[in-house]
Amino acid sequence: MNNFWVALVGMTCITFSCRYFFFSKTVPFELGTKTKRLLSYTAPSVLTAMWVPIVFLGHQSADSDFITSPFLIAGLVTVVLSLKIKNTLVAVGLGMSIFGLLKVIF
Amino acid sequence: MSTNRTIVARETVTSDLKTIIQATIDILPLALATVPWGVLCGSLAINIGLSPLQAQLMSLLVFAGAVQLAALTIIGAVGSLSSMFSSTFVISSRHLLYSAVFREHVRQSSLGLRCSIAFFLTDEMFAVTCAYMEKHKIFSPIYALSSGVVFYLIWNISTFAGIIAGQHIPNIEHLGLEFAIAATFIAIVVPAIKNRSTLISVISSGLSAIVLSIFMKDYALITATFIGMLCGYLANDKESIDE
Repeated sequence: MNNFWVALVGMTCITFSCRYFFFSKTVPFELGTKTKRLLSYTAPSVLTAMWVPIVFLGHQSADSDFITSPFLIAGLVTVVLSLKIKNTLVAVGLGMSIFGLLKVIF
Repeated sequence: MSTNRTIVARETVTSDLKTIIQATIDILPLALATVPWGVLCGSLAINIGLSPLQAQLMSLLVFAGAVQLAALTIIGAVGSLSSMFSSTFVISSRHLLYSAVFREHVRQSSLGLRCSIAFFLTDEMFAVTCAYMEKHKIFSPIYALSSGVVFYLIWNISTFAGIIAGQHIPNIEHLGLEFAIAATFIAIVVPAIKNRSTLISVISSGLSAIVLSIFMKDYALITATFIGMLCGYLANDKESIDE
């Protein structure tokens, strides 16, 4: 990709600016409660917008059926697991083992 | 007098060391949970044709897992720079909130310290530093920085491992590393759903992500995120009216 270096510098500046913005002494205003509330939904929304297509559309790249897709089954199992187990690492580990197992079976 | 000063200095050093050790212990489980994700960032970057140096620089400079993965997907699909920058901004915008929360504690510090804390400010560092602040009723720059640095090291080591693996094993994503992203995000998001508005935000973002990635792949991520944020916000309004 020719534009890689432009992309890298651009992304570095954007991520750093978001992290630094309110540390700056020249920013005179505070975030309002409404904006803070809106931003508090960013993390769950953006992460969901990334995992849902992998789980529900993963069968397309793996050439398997929707119902027997390891992405779908292991994904839904991981959802249930993370409701039951509070330990992130254990839930991820179990979910990935189930995914690996299903890949071997189907 | 001078012995007194030495004792005071030594006490400060030991308490600083304690803080650093505490920070390391607190951030370690969270950092280890992102190892598969770091490996994926490294190997995926090699798979779509970046050089090992370029792949490592993304973790060294951008240092944001979700941003890096989204960017790699866009580079792989030969998407535009504008879609890459706009999704970078939307994904990073939650850090504005973190920076606003730390603002009162950090604002009077030197430029160097402010820049360092900002650079190492991640979801995980924010989470443990807030927990520390809650417990000790004080913002500790040493705690924030050392948890951030530990996280940075593990993130970059796992990226490096992914780069090595990606060069030797072609099509590493078939080993299910792509699923590792999904599993990590599920394990972060699901336990965080503690009220109705967050649930609504997650469901609406998920549904729109499916529909949008079929019709307009380039902007699916940011559009779905906006829809999710807005629905959560509006649902929260209703919640407060109901009460």
